[in-house]
Amino acid sequence: MKKKLVSTMMSLTMVAGLLAGCGSSTTTDVATDSTTEVAEEVAEEKVEEAAEETTEEATEEKAEETTDSGDKVTISIYTQYADDDTKVPYDYAVEQLAEAYPNVELNLIVQAQDDGQTLKTLAATGQLPDIFQASTDVINTFRESNQIMVLNDVAESTGFLDKLYDANKDLAYSDDGNIYAFPFSGQEYVLWYYNKQLFEDNGLEVPKTYDDLKNCIDTFTAAGITPLALFGQEGWNTAAAYDVIATRYAEGGIKDLDLQKANITDQGYVDAAKTMEELVAAGLYQKDATTTNYDQASEMFLSGNAAMFINGQWYIEDATKALGDNVDWMFYPAADEASYEAGKSVFSGGGSSSGFAVNPDSENAELAAEVAEFITEKYCEAKVMYRHNPLVAINTGKEPESEYPAMMKKLSDTLPSVTGTTKFTWGLTNSTFNDGIQSETQGLVSGQFTADEFISDMTDIMEDMND
Amino acid sequence: MLEGRKRSIAHYIFVAFCWIYAAFSLYPLIWMLFYSFKNNQEIFVTNPFGFPWPLHLENYVTAWTKYDVPLYFMNSLIVSIGTVAITIAAALLFSYATSRMIWRGKTFTRLFLGLGMFIPVQAIMIPVVKVVQKFNMMGTRWSLIFPYVAINLAFACMVYYGFFKGIPIELEEAACMDGANIFQTFFLIIEPLVRPATVTLVIYIFLNAWNEFILANVVVGSIAKLKTLPLGVLFFQGEFTTDWGGMGATMVIASFPAIIVYTLFSEQVESAMTIGGAVKG
Amino acid sequence: MKKYMGNKLAILLFVAPALAIFILFDFIPIVQVFGYSFTNWNGLTMPDFTGLKNYIKLFGDKVFVTSNRNQLIFAIIITVYQMFFATIFAITISDKKMKGRKFLRVAYFIPVILSVTVVCQLWGSILDGNGLLNKFFEVSGSDFKQNWLGDRYKAIYVISFVNAWQWMGYQFALIVAGIKSIPSDYYEAAVIDGCSNVKAHMKITIPLLAETYKFCLIISLTGGIKAFTEMNILTGGGPNKSTFTLTYMMYNAAFKKSDYGYGLAAASIMVLECMMVMLLINFIFRDKDQGKEEEKSRRKRNA
Repeated sequence: MKKKLVSTMMSLTMVAGLLAGCGSSTTTDVATDSTTEVAEEVAEEKVEEAAEETTEEATEEKAEETTDSGDKVTISIYTQYADDDTKVPYDYAVEQLAEAYPNVELNLIVQAQDDGQTLKTLAATGQLPDIFQASTDVINTFRESNQIMVLNDVAESTGFLDKLYDANKDLAYSDDGNIYAFPFSGQEYVLWYYNKQLFEDNGLEVPKTYDDLKNCIDTFTAAGITPLALFGQEGWNTAAAYDVIATRYAEGGIKDLDLQKANITDQGYVDAAKTMEELVAAGLYQKDATTTNYDQASEMFLSGNAAMFINGQWYIEDATKALGDNVDWMFYPAADEASYEAGKSVFSGGGSSSGFAVNPDSENAELAAEVAEFITEKYCEAKVMYRHNPLVAINTGKEPESEYPAMMKKLSDTLPSVTGTTKFTWGLTNSTFNDGIQSETQGLVSGQFTADEFISDMTDIMEDMND
Repeated sequence: MLEGRKRSIAHYIFVAFCWIYAAFSLYPLIWMLFYSFKNNQEIFVTNPFGFPWPLHLENYVTAWTKYDVPLYFMNSLIVSIGTVAITIAAALLFSYATSRMIWRGKTFTRLFLGLGMFIPVQAIMIPVVKVVQKFNMMGTRWSLIFPYVAINLAFACMVYYGFFKGIPIELEEAACMDGANIFQTFFLIIEPLVRPATVTLVIYIFLNAWNEFILANVVVGSIAKLKTLPLGVLFFQGEFTTDWGGMGATMVIASFPAIIVYTLFSEQVESAMTIGGAVKG
Repeated sequence: MKKYMGNKLAILLFVAPALAIFILFDFIPIVQVFGYSFTNWNGLTMPDFTGLKNYIKLFGDKVFVTSNRNQLIFAIIITVYQMFFATIFAITISDKKMKGRKFLRVAYFIPVILSVTVVCQLWGSILDGNGLLNKFFEVSGSDFKQNWLGDRYKAIYVISFVNAWQWMGYQFALIVAGIKSIPSDYYEAAVIDGCSNVKAHMKITIPLLAETYKFCLIISLTGGIKAFTEMNILTGGGPNKSTFTLTYMMYNAAFKKSDYGYGLAAASIMVLECMMVMLLINFIFRDKDQGKEEEKSRRKRNA
């Protein structure tokens, strides 16, 4: 029921966005019907599939466990459940699960935003939930203590590997060649969003070089508009802000530093730090960027108080909803036009090996693994259908309930020519580097740490990486 | 009298200052109430400080529907009251023994327990949860009450110690003469003297337990029927975005009972303190 | 009398409950914290003994220096602010002639009732770049506008103020309770002797509250050394770890870097610092305690 409500409200807002100002009663009906229909269809399909699976593979113990007893099996799941991006997929997955596995009940434990403190403590005290959302860092930590199940066989038997897009194969496998989590997000990208209207109103072109960008900064600042709203309280955003500059000088960006394929003292990274220092001094970001949170920065951008914004492609949906045709993304500016053109094929961001993992010590580990796979698929479906996000891990065969926003189309058209990506901070493998790059770039953004300080501090941190 | 008149201008400035400071102390209540009726856009851009209009009542509706407010409320209440009762009882007895009774090693014992004041919860969390598991307290309310008592104990003992030290020894001497045993002396004569301290401690410990989040999340975060009110905020914090208005509503729901109780009881608090003083005088 | 106050059974019964809870839920965990601080441990696997390695690394860490500096600033500011305001407000509302004293007493205590999260959200929005405080300076035509929480060196002062503001109410309540427990005839006698109100309090009330003040001093100073939540919400430790404290270092190392052993080394140093402060305060107040006792008995004889 709750899910229907949510999806109805969502479709409503989307339809309303398209037919701005139409009477709402009719649209509601249409929207509700279409969602329910889709949901029912999917459910039927899945029930059939599940039935086939059980008979064919005849995993007997499981059958006993699940059907003979007739009891409900409760599986606890630790995942995010707060905004539309996390609630819609979860509610959809639960609804689908009730059809496919009627004897399974999920006990939702809402994930806290605490750098993994809760999850790690639960693991340390042997209370891990049956299924949990694991980041690269968690996977790497838990596999050392055997607290994360190897899912190679389940991925095979459930057909997950067949559905996984080729480009995302590396997201499923950890660096030791095992599958520890079912990823639902595919390759993701850092986009440099801008407000078309504000650029037009101020007679500005989309900047291609840093000189263009400085010109934009001056114009916007004079007009009382923040050039770029950064949410620098979150280290990943400042790291991304550095990475979009670094990739213009050194293609590997922060990913190569993380893998120690490059060094921070390489000319490209030094130049990037100097450029960032100059841009900060010119006033690219708002003055209090390091204490600005995501919602604050986002509201600045969506309300037209800021002209640019740096965020992942998942923000397309929200940006389009609020700004309609007035919002677009640009290729990152570079030092000169040649490197600007060359850089069009390199994006900051990328996939990360993370997703739903299973506690091997769980009483129902086998069942939990299957459920985790099922939920992962449903998350992907929901993201495609209701969140206009085709960049999911697997081929769902689903279509979104309405057309993709223009920015997403533009991104899809660009992707075939993309030759390189880097990482989001949560995809980095070395936690010392991860922590260092987040805080050091925040220092650069604050304007109170020089590029030289940045380089020398990062040198120390990188020496520490193998400790 | 002359002196009084000379001071009067300074005096009025001082009184005005007292009232302005009080207004500053009360401002968060109004701010929080306003906040809870706004959406993100109003909070961060259009109307961060003004009166909320239109009222976003849906913040309360979502808070109420996302989690079981009455259940969380009851859990918070039971855990907090349990924590207060045990902490006060244990601290009173301990501090009396270490401040007024005569035995070897009492200073050491007191300072030893004082260690508890300096431990950040984050550091001892994993060992504490393991202890709770050893005693099979997981899944019961004791799993929160005992760690909370331990956290507050050192503080309570130090407050009591200060108060016990100030009581003249003659009281016990007199009681001893009258033939009261040490237990009677403590419960009938000494304990009432430190009521002012007890009252302030009850409030303080109750609030600590009422507002605690980190440990509660780890210990009862996965047990729906034991969750406490502060855990409600989790339903509003997404990976990237937070529903600040909804958080505001949750904070109001969590804080206002404590504020109302305190305001209602402040009169009793006052009289409890006065009795303590009177007995002593 | 000595026998009466040295009743072994009573002592045992009185001390045992608190001691048992403390040892189980505080002391054993603390010992483990110290133990693990000598290991390389990610919180999950078997710890690996590495001797003093964590401590050596810690003392060479730039953030360690910043953290200690921050704690010191934090501790000093909250101590001075809280003790000063708590004392004058407590004396003011203890004056029966003061109008509205009951209301004021409740008002000063309100920030204590609110959770730290609420208080930090509030001050976060006041101190924001476009926050109330900067708007105020803008309107009043002053160019004192600041990036309050984003300054590498000054942010710590602002954060200390927020903490001092919130917890002043508690020291206030403690001092009020202390004043109430002082027999009023001491003070009245002094006023009759011709002392002004303030002078009478300075001479009579405050010295008699030495024990309460000692306690207030300990909670402020150790509160400063332990500080964490305010930084976590207001600045996230930033910019670039410039508002870190040892507790924050512990949190950051343990959960962001999965380097639990290193984090616990920071926590252990912090506990040692707190202990040293407490012992120091006890030492400073020691002579005065004896002096006070003497004064008390002298007063009694005179009366």
